[in-house]
Amino acid sequence: MPRLEVRDVVMQFPAVRALDRVSLSFEPSEVHGVIGENGAGKSTLMKILAGVQQPTSGSVFLEGDSVRFHSVRDALRRGIAMIHQELDLVDSLSVAENVFLGSEPTRFGLLNRADMNSRTNELLRSVGASFSSSAAVGSLSIAGKQLVEIAKALSHEARVLIMDEPTAVLTDQETVALFGLIEDLKSSGATVIYISHRLSEVERICDRISVLRDGVLVKTLGRGEASQSQMASLMVGRELSEMFPSKPELSSSEPILVASDFKVPGHVTNANISVRSGEIVGLAGLIGSGRTEFAEAIVGARTKRSGETRVEGKPVRIRSPKDAILAGIAYVSEDRKGTGLVLQMSVIENCTLANLREYAKPLMNKSKERITAEGWRRKLDIRANNLRAPIATLSGGNQQKVSIAKWLETQPRILVLDEPTRGVDIGAKREIYSLIRELAASGTACLLISSELPEIVGMCHRVVVMREGVTVGELTGEEISEGAIMQLAAGVEAA
Amino acid sequence: MRKLLGFLAENGVLVALIVLVIVCITQFGGAFLQPESIRNLFSQASYIGIIAVGMTFVIMTAGIDLSVGSLVALCGAVAILTLNKLAGGGSSESVSILMAALAALGIGATAGFFNGFVIAFGRVAPFVVTLAGLAAFRSIALVLGQGGEIRSQVPDFQEIGFGGIPIPGVTNQAGNPVVVYWSVLAFIGVALLASFLLNYTRYGRYVIAVGANERAARYSAIDTRAVKVWTYGFLGLLVGLAAFFNVARMNSVGTGSVGLFYELDAIAAVVIGGTSLRGGKGRIWGTVAGALLLTLITTMMTWYRVDTNWQGVVRGVVILVAVLLQRGSKSNDSN
Repeated sequence: MPRLEVRDVVMQFPAVRALDRVSLSFEPSEVHGVIGENGAGKSTLMKILAGVQQPTSGSVFLEGDSVRFHSVRDALRRGIAMIHQELDLVDSLSVAENVFLGSEPTRFGLLNRADMNSRTNELLRSVGASFSSSAAVGSLSIAGKQLVEIAKALSHEARVLIMDEPTAVLTDQETVALFGLIEDLKSSGATVIYISHRLSEVERICDRISVLRDGVLVKTLGRGEASQSQMASLMVGRELSEMFPSKPELSSSEPILVASDFKVPGHVTNANISVRSGEIVGLAGLIGSGRTEFAEAIVGARTKRSGETRVEGKPVRIRSPKDAILAGIAYVSEDRKGTGLVLQMSVIENCTLANLREYAKPLMNKSKERITAEGWRRKLDIRANNLRAPIATLSGGNQQKVSIAKWLETQPRILVLDEPTRGVDIGAKREIYSLIRELAASGTACLLISSELPEIVGMCHRVVVMREGVTVGELTGEEISEGAIMQLAAGVEAA
Repeated sequence: MRKLLGFLAENGVLVALIVLVIVCITQFGGAFLQPESIRNLFSQASYIGIIAVGMTFVIMTAGIDLSVGSLVALCGAVAILTLNKLAGGGSSESVSILMAALAALGIGATAGFFNGFVIAFGRVAPFVVTLAGLAAFRSIALVLGQGGEIRSQVPDFQEIGFGGIPIPGVTNQAGNPVVVYWSVLAFIGVALLASFLLNYTRYGRYVIAVGANERAARYSAIDTRAVKVWTYGFLGLLVGLAAFFNVARMNSVGTGSVGLFYELDAIAAVVIGGTSLRGGKGRIWGTVAGALLLTLITTMMTWYRVDTNWQGVVRGVVILVAVLLQRGSKSNDSN
């Protein structure tokens, strides 16, 4: 009997069907990989299994019994624990306090610290942690925090552990240690559901691999049944070459943007980059490599300790996004909801927000604003019934288009795009790729930051790779491949 | 039912205002409809109203200003001291009154800009900064007034409080023309100006952006700190204006009592009017209606001879109901 099973699960959101009749089973003593592109429905499926969301229809079975989880606590009580991508621990509390948060052992109604600490130390030993139960969580590395999360799951006697991109933030050594731990968990009978888009890892540790695409289960593969490139084709559903328009010719010219010797306390120790007019330069690196912080420092959204920026050869001081725009640099942030858009505002108001000066001379010209937004709607094929409706009512892809439109509105010579296709469906993704290409072809210098290697490989003339806060290498033209980027990003020979 | 709740949440303040007016007309009839009664209602609402309009912008930036009541006392004290000094020194009465007005506005704006500056550049929570102002401004006023009242030595000063523009063809029972007080005209003017700023200038859009998502606003090249400084400064200026009319009407300033709890009434008017305390959303006409509603309720309680000690309970209930209604509509939106 499978330990955990979903049957005909459907998850319908207002704009999109995230899961469409997915049926899947997870066995005891199994490491089950779930792969798929962003927006394929992996996270939604995991949220349903972990009790974060309830499916629109369909059922979940635990040890053969139909169950319905109403909350994370509910799922946890039944032995299902999720190790989040964004670890949700309380930094100011100790390891033991975090492990037992919400289920503190008590004696006569008082906290039983001794018991809490000894049990935590036992758990920490079993996951191979080198720190003690009394350490402050805030002082631990990301890998350490992950171990605390796993210990916390084990303290609830979890039999199913869901790991969402667990190695994204780990070094190689830490990754090896984690794989060892996963093996141990498996041999003790636990089910591990492993979500990743690193195909080499999935191939290495998973007994079975399920591929999701656009909310549908494409196939479940046995160990060794498919090569990495076959998995990739299953995920994308078409050859990768179709995703990306051809790269525009690049006429050699002087760099329009040069950022050199950048230092950002805690994130970037030495980073350099240059972009020429009409060029698409990729900035790659693992999560935590400092690539976003470097980009934010370039556009003045983050304070840098040092670093020189030159635009068209002239040094410029950029200490705020306002300075950046005046210098012709626009930044489409990775965090659409947090920094990219004002969700309560309408599509029109978001389109013009970064360039309001043009619409207030000195009185707001609302019809001009509307005409501008209309223009972007046509040009970028933004699907919105009503441009006056709050932008929160649009789907992710259309929100992203508005977020890009808002910056194009400032007519930048240099466009920095941070994860421009995150949480965007495939159709909108291709449109965004074509748009970036068109912009480059018309002379805009584009700096593309992405954790999706196919995107970097498919789009860029040149790729700069960061590792641990340093720009460690550069690849041009034919040299650009996922393998070559990974080698630089991880600092090792590719497996 | 859900639609009704949604409608009430959006327009509750207007509905409540209309219902209460109808109640007053049926209960008190002619007395309520006297031109003077209506004029007095607006007059009483004007002081809080002028401040509440400025407070609307502050709250739209997701801020708060608790210092306005104490600032009324400080501005009033400075205005009267300026007046007495100049008039005593031989200046003409009109010059003295003008300088008193400028002093009130100047002190108000200075204090407001100071609040805004500390909030924006010192990155201190608005609540804390203005709580300090609440304590300090009143205290300075008390020092100036030696703990008590400062009387104006210019009898004509009261003209500012009781003068105004006569309404053509409208007289009271004694046959004298009924005037619209200057403070009411100022209230109307301030509300129009504020609506204009909110809807037809960049500043208005920036206020909403800062309140709704400050980081996104900053990333959009908006000088969010300047927006805050101007917003608190504008409120301070309006506090000075309200204080000037307030002390002119009394022709004196009770430094310990004038403006007491104005911060609460002003914030209540804003919230009742439908501006979100979380920022990013607001409307001026709502605040104007909120100020009128609060004043009308106070007036009705006086007419019904409700024990003044109990009046706070009624106001508290009104504020709670208003906020609960608005919350109700929000959860409907997300469903």
